[in-house]
Amino acid sequence: MTVTEARSAKETGRHRSGSDSTARTVLIASLRERKSQLWRLAAWSLLEALPALLSGILVALAVDEGFLAGRLGIGFGWLGLLAISVALGAWGTHETLSRLAAVVEPFRDDLVTGVVTGALSSSTQRGARPPSGDVARLTQQVEIVREAYAAVLIVVQQFVVVTVGALIGLVALAPAVLPLVLPPLAVALVLFTLLLQRLANQQRASILADENIAETAATVGAGLRDIAACGGQELAHASVGSHIDNARTATTAVSRLTAFATLTVAFGGWVPLILILGFGSWLLDQGATTGVLLGAATYVLQGLQPALQTLVDGLSGPGLWLMVTLRRIVETGGAGEESSDGASTAAGTDGDSAGGYDVALSGITFGYGASAAPVVRDLDLTIPQGDHLAIVGPSGAGKSTLAGLMTGLLEPRAGQVSIGGIGLLGRSARELAAQRVLIPQEAYVFAGTLHENLSYLRPDVSDADLHEAVHLLGAEALVTRLGGFAAEIDPAPLSAGERQLLTLVRAYVCAAPVVILDEATCHLDPVAEARVEHAFADRPGTLIVIAHRMSSAARAQRILVLDGVSVMVGEHDDLLTRSPLYRDLVGHWKVPAQAAPPR
Amino acid sequence: MEDTDDSRPSARLLIQVGRNAGWWVGLLAVNALVLAAAELALPAVLGRTLDDLLGGGAPGRWLALFVVLVVVLSLGEALEDLGTGAATARSTAWLRHTSLAHLMSVGWRTAQRFPPGDLVARLVGNTAEAGSVGPDVIRGAAALIPAVGGTIALALIDPWLCVTFLVGLPVMMALLWAFARDASELAEGYLTIQGKIAGRLVQALSGARTIAAAGTAERETKRVLGPLATLHDYGMRMWRAQARITAQDLLLLSGLEIAVLAVGGWQLSRGRISPGELLAASQYVALGAALSSVIPDLTRFIRSRAAARRVGEVLDLSAVGYGNAVLPSAGGTVEFRKVSVRVGERVILDRLNLVIPAGSLVAVVGRTGAGKSLLAGLAGRLVDPDDGVVLLDGVQLIQLTQRELRGAVGYGFERPVLIGGTLAEAISFGAETPDADEVMSAARAARADAFIRHLPAGYQTPLDEAPMSGGEMQRMGLARAFAHTGRVLILDDVAASLDTVTEHEISRALTGAMADRTRILVAHRASTAARADQVIWLDEGRVRAQAPHRELWADPDYRGLFEAGRPEPDSVPVLAALGSDSAAVR
Repeated sequence: MTVTEARSAKETGRHRSGSDSTARTVLIASLRERKSQLWRLAAWSLLEALPALLSGILVALAVDEGFLAGRLGIGFGWLGLLAISVALGAWGTHETLSRLAAVVEPFRDDLVTGVVTGALSSSTQRGARPPSGDVARLTQQVEIVREAYAAVLIVVQQFVVVTVGALIGLVALAPAVLPLVLPPLAVALVLFTLLLQRLANQQRASILADENIAETAATVGAGLRDIAACGGQELAHASVGSHIDNARTATTAVSRLTAFATLTVAFGGWVPLILILGFGSWLLDQGATTGVLLGAATYVLQGLQPALQTLVDGLSGPGLWLMVTLRRIVETGGAGEESSDGASTAAGTDGDSAGGYDVALSGITFGYGASAAPVVRDLDLTIPQGDHLAIVGPSGAGKSTLAGLMTGLLEPRAGQVSIGGIGLLGRSARELAAQRVLIPQEAYVFAGTLHENLSYLRPDVSDADLHEAVHLLGAEALVTRLGGFAAEIDPAPLSAGERQLLTLVRAYVCAAPVVILDEATCHLDPVAEARVEHAFADRPGTLIVIAHRMSSAARAQRILVLDGVSVMVGEHDDLLTRSPLYRDLVGHWKVPAQAAPPR
Repeated sequence: MEDTDDSRPSARLLIQVGRNAGWWVGLLAVNALVLAAAELALPAVLGRTLDDLLGGGAPGRWLALFVVLVVVLSLGEALEDLGTGAATARSTAWLRHTSLAHLMSVGWRTAQRFPPGDLVARLVGNTAEAGSVGPDVIRGAAALIPAVGGTIALALIDPWLCVTFLVGLPVMMALLWAFARDASELAEGYLTIQGKIAGRLVQALSGARTIAAAGTAERETKRVLGPLATLHDYGMRMWRAQARITAQDLLLLSGLEIAVLAVGGWQLSRGRISPGELLAASQYVALGAALSSVIPDLTRFIRSRAAARRVGEVLDLSAVGYGNAVLPSAGGTVEFRKVSVRVGERVILDRLNLVIPAGSLVAVVGRTGAGKSLLAGLAGRLVDPDDGVVLLDGVQLIQLTQRELRGAVGYGFERPVLIGGTLAEAISFGAETPDADEVMSAARAARADAFIRHLPAGYQTPLDEAPMSGGEMQRMGLARAFAHTGRVLILDDVAASLDTVTEHEISRALTGAMADRTRILVAHRASTAARADQVIWLDEGRVRAQAPHRELWADPDYRGLFEAGRPEPDSVPVLAALGSDSAAVR
């Protein structure tokens, strides 16, 4: 078994077990919640069933009593009654569809809320991985579910209404016809139900194949440089090609099963009519008139046949889409667990640290995943309050990891992190936010007013404080250009540097004493970066900067050099003598066997 | 995008697509004609059967014919389903394979014209839309036959019936179209608001770290869901409009049928038509009114054509040409003769001349934008020069076969994109596949062996189950390069993303096991430049100096190159993608 086969087998297995039943539970729960709406829907369905019920009878009467008897007026009269019943039925359709809206829209609301809540809470919890592209597509998938859900409800309701109406009408018109009509219809329905499960499996396989194609094609698209450099064109093609062929096989299998479904519809739709015609002479002997035969044919041709066709089309199309997409939503995003926001279950620490806000790491060991080599091992570090520390080191070395550990976003395998003497473990995110603020490289600016963005971390900030912060950080030109604090802003046209500047103002005005900048000035030019760092250094509190440029290190009080798992802390001149890596980073080089001109 | 005359090339492509569905297309065409004929004949035969019955005869020839027609119709519809699916699947697969194969043969720099997401959309989505063209055209054309034929058949039964139908039909279609247009405005509004929620969610997810640190997940959820109430309103209005439209459609269609029934009943009373013909007439009205199904087929065809044009743009990219020269048995001398490269208006390299001796370790240094990454790209023919030639052991790179070229030159990027099912496959990825021992020794030399063995499945760990740090990825890329390298190895500076110990070990491998190859390093650190035999200093598009590091160190301009620390990303996207800040992998 190749790796890809094993993976898809595992995935299909996963699909079948957990998310299958969860999707069904979600659907059933939503239906149960809207029971009253569904009853109202059922009531209006009775009105909707009127034409289906009466059409055959009225046609029979019009022909027998009217046209064939030469009484044109009576014939037109019965047809007029048919027109009225159709009008009433249309009114019933109008009302049932409106009632349907009252079932579908709240379902969509619940689903969107669940999806958004689940996505945000799972990607912001402790130790969360960065969210995948799947999560962002969830809202589109909810729309698919909404339309499919409505389509399935309509189709099933229509089928029940029309079939029951037509059958009752048939019984009223000519009970002898019923044993000719009911059995083929029942057989067709049974056959289709058996087919539906297999159709669902094939449809799922087809969708999975499509997703694999998209995934592998995306890797190929992003890796064109590497493919060219390695000459691996054939292998790259093969990696996508196998999925292309799988998709072809799956689609063909689906169409094969669809063909069988069409045959069942044909069986259930035409056989009753053939039987009626075949036993026609017997029916006529039983007392059936021309009108009765025409009426029965009308019931089958205008009622049962289209209803069966609609049901099969609806279930094998939207019906399958509904189940498959709902399952995907449940798997990817969950139908929403409430974001815990880190509600504190531990001893209610208010965070009023009488012990100041020293940041202390003791014995910290951390690695991604249980079996991976540790990124930091047995790290002891104290950052006294008011310190200005810069963290430097090679890019893959784990500086952001250190920031994550210091802020409590990552949980260490061993050891403890504390701020102001109180451990971070078990404290709610809001408590922690009062003590420390982290500005990551990806500056988060959202669509809203500029004031909302800037006061994000401190909603009660005064305008005077905001103006001062804007002035100190050199953001006045930007604020003026955007139109002042009340202006609505959109992050898309802003440059990366402008977005960073806004988030830096946001961090400056917030109340937390410990500020951690994780390469948060990387898109600013060196002059702007210097101004920002000076402003933060002057701000009362602790500043920890994960340096993007070595000039940040020069401005700091102390510097931490992270070299793999080993850590060296000291001042600039001290580290120049002690750490070869630091020297290299700063751009120094000793000419061997010659006096080095120090800088 | 250039403004091409898109009607003819896309039509040609569509025809090719149709042809590639094989004999299915012919079968579907014949089937469609047979189906149309059966559909047209069925109501008439039904009518005759009923009249036959009412006339007192035993169910005879007409009933048998009716059964035959029903069987033909059923089998034909089933075949249509099967054939449409099979033909579409086959066409789509052919189109995907063809466009993917062509993309692989296109120069990497040429393919940069399309951003990766756009490429994927064309290869995966547009191909599927274009692939259904054959069956769609057949079905669309064939759908006209029953509609037109049904109208004619109505006339044949009784001209008054046809007149009634033809008077009512355009009125019905005009009203239907008007109703649909009103609904589309609401639909647009709905989609806009839904897009707003989707956009806010994507935005919030991009700031996940900020939100996590600030503990504002609940607030963000409320903000993202802000437009939900408005969405609910729009949705309800859409459903109400839909309800109105459906009810009106129903009234109109039934009205048309009742009108025809009334006229038919009048003719029945006059003895002009028989009961069977009345039944047939009501069926023909349904056939005629099904003309409206042509509209979705037409929209699908328009989409197919647009999709084919987009796929055609990928197929129109020019492929890379290779020669059929081979290299001498040993060597490694890289020579640049009067090489110039322009990107847009900017001249990056200007008639550059350079000789890199075989087996030497050279470091390429220069300010950001000086062309270090470009030089590295030229040395291994990732990029072709606009003027001048690049030679390897006296043979021009453009004259080598692809296999010869890739076998001779290997690349180790700072942010490699790993391709393959497992880690072992990712390392052995390339034109020639090294065996397991070679893979492991390459991994050991690149210091990737240790962390690979740490994983539960080791080398057989699937790539997407092995999250790696930046340094580990780079070492995997190095292992890949080591496993395939012939005589030239081109590397990004490993010092930038690895800790000192690992970096020293890899340098030891570079100066030890790889010592007989020519090694070209794009250097950012003084220590890296110091280890090289020679440093190539790029400035103003030329080689400013080619000398050992210690000689150059006296020059203050040279010393200034190493003070930056972290290299700034290049502002020109092609060059940035070549070098150490490949946005795709970040």
